[in-house]
Amino acid sequence: MSVERFSYDNQSPKLFALATIFWGVVAMLVGLTIAIQLYVPALNLGIPYTTFGRLRPLHTNAAIFAFVGNAIFAGIYYSLQRISKARMYSDVLSKIHFWGWQLIIVAAAVTLVSGITTSKEYAELEWPIDIAIAVVWVVFGWNMIGTLVKRREKHIYVAAWFYIATFVTVAVLHIGNSIELPVSFLKSYPVYAGVQDALVQWWYGHNAVAFFLTTPFLGLMYYFLPKAANRPIFSYKLSIVHFWSLIFIYIWAGPHHLLYTALPNWAQSLGTAFSIMLWMPSWGGMLNGLLTLRGAWDKVRDDPVLKFLVVSITAYGMATFEGPMLALKNVNAIAHYTDWIPAHVHVGTLGWNGFMTFGVLYWMIPKLFKTKLYSKKLATAHFWIGTLGIITWVIPMWWSGITQSLMWKEFTPLGLLKYPNFLETVLQIIPMYIIRSVGGTLYFVGMLMLTYNLIKTMKLGSFAKNEDAEAPALVMGENKLRRGMAHRWLESKPILFTVATFIVISIGGLVEIVPTYLIKSNIPTIASVKPYSPLELQGRDVYISEGCNNCHSQLIRPFRSEVERYGEYSKAGEFVYDHPFLWGSKRTGPDLARIGGKYSDMWHYLHMQNPRQMSPGSIMPEYPWLLENRLDVESTPAKISVMRKLGVPYPEGYEGKAIADLNKQANSIADALLDNGIIVEPDAEIIALIAYLQRLGTDIKTKVAETK
Amino acid sequence: MKNIKTYIWAILGFFLLFFSSPIFAESNSGGNTAEAIIEVIVAVTVFFVAFILWLALVYSEKNDFEGKTFLQPFKNFMQAINKSIPIEEENKILLDHDYDGIKELNNKIPPWYNAIFVGTVIFAVVYMINYHVIGSGNVQEDEYAEEVRLAAVQQKLLSESGKLIDESTVKFVDDPAALANGKEIFIKHCAACHGLKGEGLVGPNFADDYWIHGNTAKDIFKTIKYGVVAKGMPTWSSQLSPNDMQDVGSYIITLRGTNPPNQKAPQGKLYKYDENAQKGAEDKGKKKNI
Repeated sequence: MSVERFSYDNQSPKLFALATIFWGVVAMLVGLTIAIQLYVPALNLGIPYTTFGRLRPLHTNAAIFAFVGNAIFAGIYYSLQRISKARMYSDVLSKIHFWGWQLIIVAAAVTLVSGITTSKEYAELEWPIDIAIAVVWVVFGWNMIGTLVKRREKHIYVAAWFYIATFVTVAVLHIGNSIELPVSFLKSYPVYAGVQDALVQWWYGHNAVAFFLTTPFLGLMYYFLPKAANRPIFSYKLSIVHFWSLIFIYIWAGPHHLLYTALPNWAQSLGTAFSIMLWMPSWGGMLNGLLTLRGAWDKVRDDPVLKFLVVSITAYGMATFEGPMLALKNVNAIAHYTDWIPAHVHVGTLGWNGFMTFGVLYWMIPKLFKTKLYSKKLATAHFWIGTLGIITWVIPMWWSGITQSLMWKEFTPLGLLKYPNFLETVLQIIPMYIIRSVGGTLYFVGMLMLTYNLIKTMKLGSFAKNEDAEAPALVMGENKLRRGMAHRWLESKPILFTVATFIVISIGGLVEIVPTYLIKSNIPTIASVKPYSPLELQGRDVYISEGCNNCHSQLIRPFRSEVERYGEYSKAGEFVYDHPFLWGSKRTGPDLARIGGKYSDMWHYLHMQNPRQMSPGSIMPEYPWLLENRLDVESTPAKISVMRKLGVPYPEGYEGKAIADLNKQANSIADALLDNGIIVEPDAEIIALIAYLQRLGTDIKTKVAETK
Repeated sequence: MKNIKTYIWAILGFFLLFFSSPIFAESNSGGNTAEAIIEVIVAVTVFFVAFILWLALVYSEKNDFEGKTFLQPFKNFMQAINKSIPIEEENKILLDHDYDGIKELNNKIPPWYNAIFVGTVIFAVVYMINYHVIGSGNVQEDEYAEEVRLAAVQQKLLSESGKLIDESTVKFVDDPAALANGKEIFIKHCAACHGLKGEGLVGPNFADDYWIHGNTAKDIFKTIKYGVVAKGMPTWSSQLSPNDMQDVGSYIITLRGTNPPNQKAPQGKLYKYDENAQKGAEDKGKKKNI
């Protein structure tokens, strides 16, 4: 058996690790800023670029794709080479991957703060960036599978199974959810509308959590935990069972983000049922991690790396138990739209992703730089301040979520809402927002400690781009499929493994999404629901651009308390022309599904100018630029034309009349405002936004009145 | 077949755990569920605090990870429920896998893990059959209809008991407590559009004698209760109780002639102020100069 000499590429993991640290600081700083904006709205400095609706997507994208994304790649580029006993397939692909990904992040940051967004959560980037993501992602997959094909290890290790699942599924999700028709270079509309768009979005959104925040980190855990603890993996069988069950079941659970909405009941129930079944497959990873530490718990006391990994895995266990519980409809009825959901998410991101990343970095950077960690004490201090930060973040948000939800639902003995004014329920939880931002600050300080510690470590050591290694050449020899050894056989076939993974993750999505297209009865149409007027359509795009959907839902759930507060509950047929859907997922402010006609145009004008004029104590930012900015009226015909292609029944040739209709409606609104002493240009963005808000939910009101 | 027995018990235990708790009943009526959730949260918190205390005890045994007093029972317990091979004997189940020095053991999957997994699958099947095959569970539309029906029954009882004021029984009240309450509500809900002193802003002026929808206690009550949605006046019946609407209506009547600064130009028709109509029939005796 000949021994082959080769070298590991240490440059790629190093670059990705540096990017992780840099973007981690950025993402957390933005997060902290918006956390404080919730009780100091003026912190947006009065300019659009730093307003909550634009910074919130920046925070989520930076945290998920920049911080966690780079951490995944750093860990994969380090571990994959070593478990495959091979250098990465191509240095050129590695370079394209690294710089391509960073460029995408920069493009994302610039477009998001400029108000260029699709509004779909964690998929806000516009179509040119979507294409770039797809290309770079394929480069990553190609590089990874290429490495696996030319490996010197006969079988592929469980960490790589999770990496493969990550690559395949994120590719499918990203492409599936980003199918959109461009209107211009930086504007597009998704092909899906209303209920279907919601379903596709949360098939994507939920599984972005699954296959971007969960599976790659399980892979990292399977490499870095046994390395750091120097213990064998507890159970190979458990690895197999929880890997396949996890990737199969996860895909189905997306609809639990849409419980009690206009989504058909059967799809909601599938979401609940599969979420419950997801509990043990998720816990399989936690068990295999924690039980691997048997006999090594004494090391946990001394080693900050293991401390981070243990708390990370524990946080994963907590979040994946809470998840199925939140998917029960009666729990969801309380938790949905409240701060409970960010609390749940941040156990995962701060605990599982953040702490795992920190553990990996503290272990990997000294290895790459052939030295010891600069300060173990500082790392331990980071661990404690980080843990305190998570607790101080999450607990107040649990309380505020439950408190606010119960206030929304409470009736007086006379049968009236006890807190009819939404603002009262917000003012109640502001102290919780303040405590939460203290937690965030602690966590951020920990991140700075890590940055300092690792920079010092790098200065202490010496880095070589290539690390020499040797391993026997791969001899496949006899590789027959034997009874009881089928999985072992599959582990030696990376391409087949990838195909099998693809099949397993495709089933759930197909079963849930295809019927909502093919079976008419899933979305009963309503005759009185008509397409938006050109001005309303433009106003809707202003709403999207400002990110209003980050704080305002547009979906009234079928509860007496919501119907009393907002009006008749939302029906599937009301959203058939909504490309994209704007149901939202969080009510920092009240629901707007039926805001149309509730207040006067003048009220909206004054409220946008300064919300506190109309609602003293409101935490909504001011939007003075909407009163000044001119609408891009010329884009109207193109928008109408794309909408018709997507199936919205604007009459043939309406493009020619659209601008005239738009001006007519805008003038009538501006004239009416003038009667009340407000001077505003008819082509100001505020006019379009008012037209859109006044239209919201009114189509069905007329219908209800007729039937009564 | 000891194994199967364990399974059956574990699955039964799993179902008991769930079905014994009201958290599982599909219903969104706030009260009970909320209490159940808080109970669970408290229980979990207590459990975690106990666990942390126990950990502190374990770690106080300086460097004693052979675990004489506190750790050994836990180790025994974990071994028993996980059916894992003790560390000392793990060489027997060490597989020949080696990835960059990482080895793998061939421990059995813990039986409780399998039991709960099977339990959740059974639950999921029962759940789907219940709601979508037999149809015995309430889907959300039925749930909503039931919630509304119960509220209507309650509402009917209330109005029969005479506790609910409506436009036929409303009257002007001049008792100071009621007017103070009216003023408070006015500042909170009405001042944004009608001005802090009722001078008018988005909405009309209350200090003059011009009214768009009438100036009697009954007219004002109706305007508040049902709103004038086309003109931007919201419907307040879902936000204010009938008593509150009567109080704020009465307060508005008292604003007449207060002559606040920055008054909005008159809107609507000139109405004659008729104190009798405001105070209602039973006040006829007490006449005041206007």
